[in-house]
Amino acid sequence: MDRSQLLRGTLDAAALAVVAEQDGYGYDVLRRLRAAGLTDVGDASVYGTLRRLYRAGALTSYVEPSDEGPHRRYYGITSRGRAQLAEARTAWAEFSQTLSTLLETDVEVTA
Amino acid sequence: MTTAAHVPSDVETYLARVRAALSDVPAEERDDLLAEVEASLHETASETEGSVAAQLGPPEDFAAELLSAAGLHPSTEPPAAGLRETIERLAGSRQVTTSLRFLRELAPISWAVRGYVAVAALALAANASWSTSHGAVPRIGNAKLGAAAIFVAVAASIALGLWNRGVARTRLPLAVLNIVLLATLVPVAVHLSHRAQPEVATRVFIQTEPVPGLAYNGAPVDNIYPYSRDGRLLHDVLLYTAAGTPLNVGTTAYDPYRRILATKTGRLVYNAFPVRYYEPGTKMVLRPGAGPKVKVPHIATPPLPAPKPKR
Repeated sequence: MDRSQLLRGTLDAAALAVVAEQDGYGYDVLRRLRAAGLTDVGDASVYGTLRRLYRAGALTSYVEPSDEGPHRRYYGITSRGRAQLAEARTAWAEFSQTLSTLLETDVEVTA
Repeated sequence: MTTAAHVPSDVETYLARVRAALSDVPAEERDDLLAEVEASLHETASETEGSVAAQLGPPEDFAAELLSAAGLHPSTEPPAAGLRETIERLAGSRQVTTSLRFLRELAPISWAVRGYVAVAALALAANASWSTSHGAVPRIGNAKLGAAAIFVAVAASIALGLWNRGVARTRLPLAVLNIVLLATLVPVAVHLSHRAQPEVATRVFIQTEPVPGLAYNGAPVDNIYPYSRDGRLLHDVLLYTAAGTPLNVGTTAYDPYRRILATKTGRLVYNAFPVRYYEPGTKMVLRPGAGPKVKVPHIATPPLPAPKPKR
């Protein structure tokens, strides 16, 4: 399966995890996701996801002036965001374990 | 002398096209999205060689991805117009005039409904009882008389409608009657909707019989093949739940071929896995190593210290 397809459903959790680690602005979050190995994550997907998480109350935001260009809008995680991240962690752990088991073993009863 | 005209940068051109592609998004949200994107585009441009478009793809695709990730759908409605304008535009449109004409032709139906509502409302007001077989018919004396009353009222109402049709303006008493009846439409509709349902509540209980013995995801399990971390199939592994209940299988049906473990005192042990079967007529298990063909994964986690034997 295409990695980008797999990515789509999990970007919320990935973005929350990055912001939970340290507050970040759009491009910074994108860079950290890419550095973590999500190299094919789309720029627009990350910016859109951040805005949506912010609207849903999972992120808070504040503006900081930047020397290099326009002001940067930083995002931080809220308690709602932490709850969502914890939920995503559990769901992902269960799902990945199930899928690993399914993909690794081929059961064929001969007894 | 030449004055350096402001040349829009690559980023600004790109941003302008993204903005154009987002023209259907509510202004406030669009500005927030664009502010987010603008700062990031400047950084993208400063860190990468070549044009922003080469890096990010066509601005229209970028905008579409942005909207989809942000969970926004561009509204398909035209920009907001004043209420009066909207009404006037609607009234003038061909579909509406056609529908109005169509509704006019359907007016006799509303007259018939008006006749029925008049009778039903009076019956409700008088707290009359209602026919049990035809819930919509009130008993006036009896259900037959009730039905006759409805028939007469419907006919009268249609006659009223026809009489009124010739005049340009609805006659005042009729207008008042219409308004009164319109007000009673709600209780009548409520009454009818209650009548429409059978009074006996139907409840469906779905109960699934639990599988006796061992089950996995609802399917019975009749054997278990435990493997050690280095991939060896284990014999005679006794399994218990956290409460100490032995995970017995097949305790009810006697199977002469099953190899059932026993204690010195002769107590039978039903929770030993894998369950093995003797060759008929012997006390020999033909293939004690037989098991499902599984690929035991290579375990990298360090082993726990070996527990001391209980005995």
